[in-house]
Amino acid sequence: MSTLEQLKAELKALGAEYAKIKTLPESERKDFGQKINDKKQEIINKIKALESEQTSANIKPIDITAPFGINSNPIAIETGSKHPLMVELDRVIDIYSRMGFGVVESRQLDDEFHMFDALNFPKGHPARDGYDTFRTEEGFIPPAHTSTMQHRVLKNYKKNLDNNGQIAVVIPGRVFRNEDVDATHEHTFYQCEGIFVSKNATFAEMLGVLKNFFETYYGQNLKIKTQPGFFPFTEPSIELLIEKPKSLGGKGDGWLEMLGCGMIHPNVLKNAGIDPEQYKGFAWGGGIDRLVMLKYQLNDIRYFESAKLDFLKEF
Amino acid sequence: MKVSLNAIKKYVDIDISTEELIKLIGSRLVEVEGSEDFSKKYAGIKIVEVTECEHIPETHLSLCKINAGETQNIQVVCGAPNVRQGMLAVWLAPGCVVPATFGKENFKLDVRKLRGYESSGMLAALDELGLGSDHEGIIEINPEDARPGDDFAEKFDLNDVILDIENKSLTHRPDCFGLIGFAREVAGILGKKFVEPEFLMHEEVFPEGFLEYNQQNGVSSKDCPIKIDIKGSELCPRYSCAVLEVDDKILKTEKYLTKDDIFLAKADMQGVSKIVDVSNILMLETGQPLHMFDYDKFIKVGGTETPRIIVRPAKEGEKLELLDGKTIECISSDILITSNDIPVALAGAMGGANTAIDENTKRVLVESASFSLYNLRKTQMHHGIFSEAITRFTKGVPAGGTFNVMAEAVKELGGKASMVCDNFVGLQKVEPIQVSVKDINSLLGTNYETDLIIKTLENVGISCEQNESSELSVLAPSWRTDLHIKEDIIEEVGRLLGYDNIVIDYPKRPFIGAEISPMLSLKTKIRNILSDKLNAHEVLTYSFVSKKLITTVNQRVEDSYKIVNSISPELQCFRQHIAPSLLDKVRENVKAGHNNFIIYELNQVSNHKFGLDEDKSPITKDHLAILSFGDFYHIKNIIEKLFKNLNVDLSIKTFEQKEEFPYLEPLHSADLYVGDKYIGSIGEVKQLVLGKFKLSGEISILEINLEEILGKEKSGAKKLKVNKFPFVYRDITAKVKAEFSFIDLYSSIESVLENNNLISEIKPLSIYQPENNQTFKHVSFHIAFSSAEKTLQSDDISAIMEQINKNLQTLGAEVV
Repeated sequence: MSTLEQLKAELKALGAEYAKIKTLPESERKDFGQKINDKKQEIINKIKALESEQTSANIKPIDITAPFGINSNPIAIETGSKHPLMVELDRVIDIYSRMGFGVVESRQLDDEFHMFDALNFPKGHPARDGYDTFRTEEGFIPPAHTSTMQHRVLKNYKKNLDNNGQIAVVIPGRVFRNEDVDATHEHTFYQCEGIFVSKNATFAEMLGVLKNFFETYYGQNLKIKTQPGFFPFTEPSIELLIEKPKSLGGKGDGWLEMLGCGMIHPNVLKNAGIDPEQYKGFAWGGGIDRLVMLKYQLNDIRYFESAKLDFLKEF
Repeated sequence: MKVSLNAIKKYVDIDISTEELIKLIGSRLVEVEGSEDFSKKYAGIKIVEVTECEHIPETHLSLCKINAGETQNIQVVCGAPNVRQGMLAVWLAPGCVVPATFGKENFKLDVRKLRGYESSGMLAALDELGLGSDHEGIIEINPEDARPGDDFAEKFDLNDVILDIENKSLTHRPDCFGLIGFAREVAGILGKKFVEPEFLMHEEVFPEGFLEYNQQNGVSSKDCPIKIDIKGSELCPRYSCAVLEVDDKILKTEKYLTKDDIFLAKADMQGVSKIVDVSNILMLETGQPLHMFDYDKFIKVGGTETPRIIVRPAKEGEKLELLDGKTIECISSDILITSNDIPVALAGAMGGANTAIDENTKRVLVESASFSLYNLRKTQMHHGIFSEAITRFTKGVPAGGTFNVMAEAVKELGGKASMVCDNFVGLQKVEPIQVSVKDINSLLGTNYETDLIIKTLENVGISCEQNESSELSVLAPSWRTDLHIKEDIIEEVGRLLGYDNIVIDYPKRPFIGAEISPMLSLKTKIRNILSDKLNAHEVLTYSFVSKKLITTVNQRVEDSYKIVNSISPELQCFRQHIAPSLLDKVRENVKAGHNNFIIYELNQVSNHKFGLDEDKSPITKDHLAILSFGDFYHIKNIIEKLFKNLNVDLSIKTFEQKEEFPYLEPLHSADLYVGDKYIGSIGEVKQLVLGKFKLSGEISILEINLEEILGKEKSGAKKLKVNKFPFVYRDITAKVKAEFSFIDLYSSIESVLENNNLISEIKPLSIYQPENNQTFKHVSFHIAFSSAEKTLQSDDISAIMEQINKNLQTLGAEVV
């Protein structure tokens, strides 16, 4: 094997050969030139190969598994983080947006009318107690569900119906329940509500939309299952369950309760000035915190509102 | 709520496996939270006779020999005071798991020595069997009911499966709070006809021995001496009662274990005496609670010979001593049962001590009534009474069935009613509901046949009449107080036939782009810039804060919306700003080893000063708060970078919002404007405030109202600092008086560059002040500029620099 120096010397020597071309008969010049060129290329290739293998002078091997070099300072390239609940909410909203749903955010202080009356809860009805609502001194309510926005959304988007269109809106937001906090209960959490109203919306369409949402969300076909439920603002009402997805370790047997839904009660439509004989709709609402907890196998809901950087920097 | 499958099977023939049944109930009626197979729990338990029983000296124990049928003379040590020779007892043989521990610790019995005596298994008390709380003595079995060696589970109907029902989602179905109602639903789900128990079928037929009464005018027969006066039919739609003579057999506590005890135990209730058990069992079966008064005491309290039952609202503060010995002070929403206006019971909740049944009771007044669920909810909450009875009343016990259940109670207690009375002043006539087959199928998205729909509804007692045009006239039974409109009927059809059988479909919609919420897009943009470009961490903190936090940051507590039923003082006020919550989270993170971080939160805030919107709801605002370590200039840098990325023009002005931001150091803070709109403030947190958070050093925050930024993005293309001609770079330093404003120097240079139509950038390099002379400062800039038309020549450059120098000098600066 030639050394790099030898090769370089050869290459230099080859330069002298070029001068010979002129001395040769016309007919041989081409072949001779070709030969020298080939020879030159060969040497150059050898040099390149040798050079790429060679290390620079004075370079010592390093430990590529170490985080930084010997006698160097730790390298801190800081990155920011987004809250996992907000990231997930964005994803949920993105899927609904692509399905054609507009987005209206929920509010964090509301009143008895929007929280209960407009949603067909009879006055003093025990169903109101089931929501464990907080109240302010003035009787306002930090809403216990995003359904508190249903009436406003129906009223504001009624014009779509008047223009032969539909109402298709999702409503994400922060909600509150008067519950003692432990690993699985928070008084503050996030929900996403959905509303669809058209001339001929059906229960079957509701199942279709929600099945499709979860299939897109989990990136696989999913079986769904229903359980009768009771909400004063939907009739019929159900709880929707989905097959435990593969990404969460599902093997086709377990079920996850995902949300409550149903056909919008005619009184709720009427309250918003929509004729229930002419229009039908469906609505649903589900928690976001649970989606995140399932995704990361997080067993303590209290992390979310803790503002602990140890936790947040994981995202 | 516990439901016994054996009890259901009395009313409906179940021909599918328990597992399938649970699945069907789950998908068509209510969630089944769990089930317990009693045949496993009570396997191998025997009824035995105690053939010998000797006290073991110096102990509380007895040495017994028992006869277990096939095997005899088995030695068992027993510590119960009531064990005696000749009695029938319940024996847990070696190998049996103590039922009370079944599915938990699974305590398995064996042969072991107690005080030196060998004991095979044990004789059981009620609590050990998991059938009650009694541990006074072992269970005694009536010799008329069983023989030694009999299987305990078989004799006492314990080869059963108990379902645990999630009854929260049945609050609208009072009928399902009775086993009969539940069984009716099971029949409906299975597509089977339900056979109504005889006693519930005919309201106008009464068992033998009842006095005649007529239903006209909604009041009882005038011949009956009892008068029922209801003050407000909405408080009490119906009140049925009967008087019967009783013997002391039904008043005393039964010595032996009875099947009634077991029936009650399956519902987590306990047997007391025949009279109490009958009313409890009927309640479990029908959902109709009953109450028993001592009739003679009842008359005596009222002081009249012809009793007058007055059902009326309580007066505020009216006192009544209850059966449990407590004296309550009524609230005006309580309903009282009175004898001639003297309170004798808190309706639906508990009887009064003055009319309690005791061993000397001769005549009993049986009450079966329906009360306003709204009033009883308040009664329940106010007085903290959570009995099985009031749980049912608060679901709205239907008025239709009160009389029938009372009649059945009378029958079971001996059947001799001397008086009966029924006031049904609030009993509503059920109106038929019109619904077409098309209505049903078009809402569900199904193709159910008319016959199937009718059969499905009739199976659960909903009668249907069909006219020519497939229009159904549907009549809800009296116990279905939840059926009012056609959607209710559609739900019944969908549910009973199984929602899971509905073939899914998709809405048809036009291809019109969905609206994106501008506020949501803005927040997403901010999040992307802060977290992805500026290395900030997004946090979420509670919307509720403590009064202490508000005062700590010098805000006014009276401006906050206050939560009256807050979980703790920490969560009493709706927050006015987000920044204080962020400050509150710093120390904990510093202690966890984090330093020099930037955190931010996007969330809503509110306070009284925002006022109400057109709906009269409090106005809430979307805010952004950022907290950073370091002085004013750190946070200023962040907000400038953020707004540059948002492409919104921001101006930073003198701090005037001291009242709005009382926690900022006024001399080190500024107000932020977009156009002429104030959007929020930035600044260093006062050292005094930081101290209260146990923080030191410099921490800066900003809080802005996002609504003021919406739609404020600059239109048109952004001016980029790129050029094909080379840039010229120059450094320049101006010496000015210490109070001279930086921006004036900057603008002065900028104006020259702009006037010359140059593409330029001005970078501040340093602001220097020697320690020994603080009257001046040196401000240095690095300037880059080039022309879009040509390569700048040295003449051009000199001219420009000349202008810059001149301009600065005009301002009073000395160019050094």
